[in-house]
Amino acid sequence: MKPEHSWRYRLIGALLLVVPVLIFFQLFRIQISPEQRQRFQEQINSISGETADIVPPRGLIYDRNGELLAGNQTVYEVGVELAQVTDIDTIVLALSSVLGEDQSKISGLIRDGMANNAIHVTIANYVSQDQHDKLVGMQEEFDRLFQNVHGKAARSLNGLSFQPFLQRTYPEKSQASEILGFVNRQGRGYFGVEEKYNDWLAGKSRQVWWPYDPVEAARLPDVPEGTSLVLTIDRSIQASMEDLIDQEVDKTGSDSGTIVVLDPKTGEVLAMATTPRMDLNQYWLAEKIFSPGTPFNRAVSGTYEPGSVYKVLTMAAGLDSGAVTPDTEFLDRGVIEIGGTVIRNWNGGAWGPQDMQGCMQHSLNVCLAWVAKRMGPSTFYTYMQRFGIGHLSGVDMAGDVPGRLKLPGDSDWYEADLGTNAFGQGVAATPLQMASAISAVANDGKIMAPHVVRSLISKGYQKDIEPQVISTPLTSKTAQTLSELLARSLENESSDALVDGYRVAGKTGTAEIPTPFGYTSDLTNASFVGWGPVDNPRFLVYIWLEKPRTSQWGSEVAAPVFRQAVERLVLLMNIPPDNIRKQLLGQ
Amino acid sequence: MERVERLSQAYSQAPWRKQLQFVGLFLLIMVFIALIASIYLNVSARSGAVGREIQDMQREILRNQREIAHLKGQLGTIYSSTDMERRARAMGFQERDPQDTLYIVVPDYMDRQPVVLAPSYQPEVIGAPVLPVEYTESFFVWLQKQFNHVIFPLFKVQS
Repeated sequence: MKPEHSWRYRLIGALLLVVPVLIFFQLFRIQISPEQRQRFQEQINSISGETADIVPPRGLIYDRNGELLAGNQTVYEVGVELAQVTDIDTIVLALSSVLGEDQSKISGLIRDGMANNAIHVTIANYVSQDQHDKLVGMQEEFDRLFQNVHGKAARSLNGLSFQPFLQRTYPEKSQASEILGFVNRQGRGYFGVEEKYNDWLAGKSRQVWWPYDPVEAARLPDVPEGTSLVLTIDRSIQASMEDLIDQEVDKTGSDSGTIVVLDPKTGEVLAMATTPRMDLNQYWLAEKIFSPGTPFNRAVSGTYEPGSVYKVLTMAAGLDSGAVTPDTEFLDRGVIEIGGTVIRNWNGGAWGPQDMQGCMQHSLNVCLAWVAKRMGPSTFYTYMQRFGIGHLSGVDMAGDVPGRLKLPGDSDWYEADLGTNAFGQGVAATPLQMASAISAVANDGKIMAPHVVRSLISKGYQKDIEPQVISTPLTSKTAQTLSELLARSLENESSDALVDGYRVAGKTGTAEIPTPFGYTSDLTNASFVGWGPVDNPRFLVYIWLEKPRTSQWGSEVAAPVFRQAVERLVLLMNIPPDNIRKQLLGQ
Repeated sequence: MERVERLSQAYSQAPWRKQLQFVGLFLLIMVFIALIASIYLNVSARSGAVGREIQDMQREILRNQREIAHLKGQLGTIYSSTDMERRARAMGFQERDPQDTLYIVVPDYMDRQPVVLAPSYQPEVIGAPVLPVEYTESFFVWLQKQFNHVIFPLFKVQS
């Protein structure tokens, strides 16, 4: 080594020493700086893998016989991988013809993406399986036809990409829409069981790290499907009741109609048909179908003054409390004054001496107000609360509302309310609330929790929901006495509600509609509640027709609907006529 | 001493022996490194391939899960009441007239029961086979456990 060159070697040596020291220092600095560490970690993550959301399929909804009411279907996000595109014009033409989108819009999206050096451009979302299949077919056809053609003459759909995911689908379209509710594109349930059980149905999504390095492949977390539901609804009964209510709303010129069918012994809702309904696969039309203020499901969210069907509860309370017996005599003079308010009968007439059956048979407001007065406000309202009036029905559906029952002590309660409440005026309830309350009469005095979900299926197991007693407002004896009394009332009246071969009990209701100026409207709410067979009730049917135009009387418009409903129900539920049933039981 | 001198003499007479020894040693180390490297490469290549296979299968599981959900939905559409009614009418079925209904006694007839789509929920499965821990825990975890077994009781006794 020449001495004059030795400084060069020293310099190289120094560099070789300094550079590693600097590298080491930098590494140390990165390690102790959280910001630096995070920044580098993010850079590493961005190039070493990707995070992906694993969204489990939403739980299914079945009717009580296992028929699918809500399922899932694959839809696609259609996009373009810009680096792979060789023929923009053909892609634009194909997408436009299949998706029905404007050509200039698609072309603009692709060209904008290219100009911005984007990797991927989304063209359309929620593309159906059919449309996807068409595009894939075209892609394959182009590849086949132009496999040997090169240059500008070659036509290709290279670059088209499809990202599949699941979307809610309702095979029965509008059937049971009022019970089911719907799921929007963000996967959130609205109304009905879809909203009430949203968290259960949706399951738990998990975010996972998907490494590009296969050596780092880790076990995927267990992401079970959402919980499936088996409803108490019978699809055939539901369809039949919907068909009936549509027909009767049309025939009577009513604003809307509702039918609730309960099994009084279990509280299971067998059908719940209301108008209007909507095709749940097109939920975005809801705003057009339901005008502002219109409940999605009148049976649970639509409150109204029920009118004379409420007399069943008043009479039940009267009999159960001992204030009256079926044979109690009442002299109807056609008018009674309670709290300064004069109450008259529906026809303004006096009906003379009546027993309690006569009071119910002729639906006498004066008599029922007198029964309530005999009970006194404390007893009357205690019973009404036991019946669940003014409280949520507790049904497992979204939109349940409590209605309104003014109580003594409330600022807006007056003594006159005792008289008017007795015949269903000045009190607001939903059809389901009324059906549930009156089911006590059909079920030996017990009210079962009304419910629409029968079983939950999760992780391969089915858990049945046991029926529950929520209240016992009446004794069994009172319930049977009143049931018999109401059955005879219908028979004596030769009501349009009577069904050949089947003994049924029930009560009509015609309620005036309150306006800001009092009960000034000529229009009414027509209702009917009935159950059967009387000796062993299998169903309770509640009907509400809102503002019927052909007749204002429940006995003329709602009672025939009850008859038709029962005629259909007995066939669908395999209930033989009473005489045959008794013969069969005797064998 | 004499022996050392003899060896020194031998090496000075044939230095290639010493070089050959170095070369041999070097080659031995190289072969060893190559062996380790090839084992490492083989194992990592296999684990890479298996990892890729696992990832493919995981994607397949998710795809199948989606496909099953889709097919269930399609099945629901095929069995929907409107489709069933249309097919039934096309096959010549008619709605029954309630008046024509005939009720007869069928011995042991069971009325239609609510559907059972899955076995009943069992809160706890007793006696279910469990994979022994020896099949799942790593050597180091086992070692740590053994260590803890030995060390922690000592601390307990002392305290």
